[in-house]
Amino acid sequence: MERWRSIRRRIPTIPLPERGVAGRGVWAGTTRHVSGLALLFVAAGMLLSGLVELGAGDEGPAVLLAAAITTVVAVALWWPTRPGALDHTAVFTAVGATWVFASVLGALPYLLAGTFAVPGRPWAVVLADALFESVSGFSATGSTVFGAHNPIEAQGTGVLLYRQLTQWAGGMGIVVLVVMVLPALRSSGLGLIDAESPGVGIDRLAPRIKTTAAWFWLVYLTLTLVVGVGLLVAGMGPFDALAHALTTASTGGFSTKDASIGHWDSAAVEGVLVVAMLLGGASFALHSSALRARRFRYWHDREFRAYVVLLGLSAAVITVLLAGDGMGVGHALRSAAFNVVSLGTSTGYGNATGTGSPGDFTAWASGPQMVLLLLLVFGGCTGSTSGGVKVMRLRVGMAHAYRTLRALRKPRALLPIRLGPSLLSESIVERIAGFMVVYGLLVVGGTVIVAALGADLVTAFSGVISALGNMGPALGEAGPTSSFADAYPTPARVVLTVLMLVGRLEIFPMLLMLVAPYRRVRTASGHALAAVQDRLVRSD
Amino acid sequence: MARWIPGGSTSTGRRWASWTSAGALAAVVALGAAGLLATVAGLVDLVGAGDDTAVLLVVGGLLGVGAGLLRAGSRPAERIRDADVLVATVGALVGVIVLVAGLLLATGAAPVTASGLVDALADATAAGTTTAIGVLHPALDDHGGRFLLAGAQWLGGLGALMVGVAILPFFGAGREFADRSRRGGRRPMTPDQATAVRNILAIHGSVSVLTWVAYAVAGAAPFDALLLAMATASTGGRSVGAQLDTSALQWVAIGGMGVAGTSLVVLWRLVHGRARNLLRSDELQIYVGLVVVGTLLFLLWTDGGGADGLRGAAFTVTSALTTTGFPSAPGGTWAPAAPVLVLGLASIGPMVGSAGGGFQILRHRILAQSAVREMLRQLHPRSLTLVRLGGRVADEDTLSKVVVTQFLFVSVLFATALVVAVGGLDLATALGAAVHAISTAGPVRTLDGAVVDPATWPDGVRLALLPAMVIGRLSVYPAFVAVGAGVTVVRDRARIRRRWRSLRRGRPTGRSGGRS
Repeated sequence: MERWRSIRRRIPTIPLPERGVAGRGVWAGTTRHVSGLALLFVAAGMLLSGLVELGAGDEGPAVLLAAAITTVVAVALWWPTRPGALDHTAVFTAVGATWVFASVLGALPYLLAGTFAVPGRPWAVVLADALFESVSGFSATGSTVFGAHNPIEAQGTGVLLYRQLTQWAGGMGIVVLVVMVLPALRSSGLGLIDAESPGVGIDRLAPRIKTTAAWFWLVYLTLTLVVGVGLLVAGMGPFDALAHALTTASTGGFSTKDASIGHWDSAAVEGVLVVAMLLGGASFALHSSALRARRFRYWHDREFRAYVVLLGLSAAVITVLLAGDGMGVGHALRSAAFNVVSLGTSTGYGNATGTGSPGDFTAWASGPQMVLLLLLVFGGCTGSTSGGVKVMRLRVGMAHAYRTLRALRKPRALLPIRLGPSLLSESIVERIAGFMVVYGLLVVGGTVIVAALGADLVTAFSGVISALGNMGPALGEAGPTSSFADAYPTPARVVLTVLMLVGRLEIFPMLLMLVAPYRRVRTASGHALAAVQDRLVRSD
Repeated sequence: MARWIPGGSTSTGRRWASWTSAGALAAVVALGAAGLLATVAGLVDLVGAGDDTAVLLVVGGLLGVGAGLLRAGSRPAERIRDADVLVATVGALVGVIVLVAGLLLATGAAPVTASGLVDALADATAAGTTTAIGVLHPALDDHGGRFLLAGAQWLGGLGALMVGVAILPFFGAGREFADRSRRGGRRPMTPDQATAVRNILAIHGSVSVLTWVAYAVAGAAPFDALLLAMATASTGGRSVGAQLDTSALQWVAIGGMGVAGTSLVVLWRLVHGRARNLLRSDELQIYVGLVVVGTLLFLLWTDGGGADGLRGAAFTVTSALTTTGFPSAPGGTWAPAAPVLVLGLASIGPMVGSAGGGFQILRHRILAQSAVREMLRQLHPRSLTLVRLGGRVADEDTLSKVVVTQFLFVSVLFATALVVAVGGLDLATALGAAVHAISTAGPVRTLDGAVVDPATWPDGVRLALLPAMVIGRLSVYPAFVAVGAGVTVVRDRARIRRRWRSLRRGRPTGRSGGRS
């Protein structure tokens, strides 16, 4: 108890301005306030990267300029506003708007540094690519538009660090950061974290929301440091170790090398990353329990068990299939284990040393690729930084299906769904069922649109699943050694950008952000129509 | 609850248990249907070479006698449980498939070898589930063999209608899918089960006969027209040697497939002069809209043009959407979106209450409405948001079952794709084959639109597609209920649980071993 009190005391509290609420309502003020504060963190990341860039003497002050612009916008949003009580609409609007602002302004360093300004490319394509990379970073997806035409390794240190930092910030959630330093949100903060966090609700790690948010970040920071040290010991250089620690804890998957982890071709590095990715895809509540109370309850958690068994089984099946196709058992096991964990945790690193090498899963037979496609859907555990549908949702989906089938044989039986020792409320079951329906519709609709824009069936289907689950690479033309700029036409990349953002917020907040104002307009117009009708009736 | 009481002697002895009665019912239906099919095929064979007439008539007679004896000797329960009726439905379909496979082997359509056995089973399943993924091509003068496959398709289509209109709404899910309202002096199509069965037979038979006549008028030989009509009305899609090689025949096929994909309730109302109300049917509007929009998109994504292009596009789109699966040449270069469109249409499927497969339009609509409801619930957690179907509030149980059906549909699809991919098909073909199998559509195409010959696939791959076909033909749900019920019955009967407990406690197995 004393420990988290001391942590709470150490968290800086940003004083609220004395000004009144700007805008037409509290919700508008809150949205701008939260967005502005989040942008300050983004600007801080840019500033750090810019300073590193200056120190390395790679490029001009493009990243610093981006930091300045972002700071101005952030202050303009944050300073004249103050948060109020949040209803459900305001929560979704605040979280959705924060992510849109962060993604758009997060593209500034790429634009100002001319990262994607390859000669002969139209400005619209450059803009789309910068936005794609920014969203892929913040949503911890890991898909990239860097490629042979524009190698990652040709970029400056500052841009590379900024790219990794976007994933680190997005992995745990920028709104969680805001909640940590914002004193006036009180219980509304829980709604904000809940709307941003992957999974079905969050585990409250402490009585106070602010402390809960702080604990999440503390665990996250610890994991990052441990991974960094592990990679350093395994043989990576300091900068690369730090950069990959940032994107491993966040299960993001950006790398500082064009060949991703295949650049090192090191079993030790891959081994460290496999363990780190597994931890990144596990619930942070479990990590917190291990860190705070020294209680290692991992194997007691059914979701974690299912998650580990699923990944282990997939790796075993793929190893057998690859070995059956003639790959050596050692290579097969290493490639299978790394890629299964990388895609199963939604990290998205690749260990291919080149096109057609053992780690290039697009060159594998279709059986192992299909296993990977399924893993793209599954994702990690709830309460982790991973994407995808999540193991817990799949378990509940199966339990719900089993219950419905069983109810036909036992029509009068009460058949609750259990999750471990506790019963799951019907509202959560319905919420999960609703999520799966919307997810399915988005996958189908997205595939048709991306295919209509020029991608083939497998590339479109796997790309949409990958974007929606924040996975990183896909199958077909968008494998671990490919660039999304080559695999998808520009309009298709824009669609995938939107899907990455929708998927990072687990679909509903982003969609509801669009629906809520519409409903307001509809209600307002309905009232206006009713008033007109009333007036007409009276005049008659 | 007592809704299904099969006939048979009840004068002596104890009545059978519910699941025994269901099993007997399934056996009677399977034997009767296969016997009838074999007998008619034997008679039809007389028109052709006549090689198989004797075999078909003898086997048909034996099966018919077996069905009669079983029916006469059965002592059915007073009431068969809902779940057991679904088990019987699955059993009947599987029984027909096995018997038709046996007939194919007996007539020599498939050789009596291991590979021939797989061919016979795969083709019988494809025909019985109205999936256009088959490998057997009987000789043109083998009228018996050709009729056998076409007839199995027709029976499969009839079975699908029975499941969708006369069984599921009464015993499982989807009370909203039935037409029982007498409001405004209406004459409902399915006021009760017996009437539903009668009306289904009348409409399916009439549609088949009218399609036959239309094909004949369009220039097909009478026997070919019959085979085409059976393949069209049932949405089976295997013309078994008959060709759709003229534009007139293709236009007839487009119309026939369109009608076959229409809900029987809609056709019933049309027959009874209530066409005006039909325009209000959301599902019909979406169905027509999908055909029109799909055709335009297909034209856009292939380089076809003119009247021939329009006909080809309409043919391919209608064939996919109704899950009929008549093969057609690519007719030009396909854009990457064209095969996705065809696959998407096949998985959507036609209207609920038609002979077509897929997930079907009304269920998709329910899913979409459920999705919107869930989004609104996120905004207003305490609000009461209802889903309406045709002006009526949909039952929560139905909504839940549709969502579960979607979950199972997708699970089976991915599981099948995984198995066939491991079996050696490339990723795109594996996904296509799985979608077509569970949607009971076909044929599988490459990404450039060419039709894939399933004979080139390994036997294991073709066998792996069969469960998906059966599950898809039964609208997913009953198949899982049947599997669950089957496992329960076997487990209970074999007293596996009791023996297991006894073994764990170190007691001897046996009747008294489990209790103390």
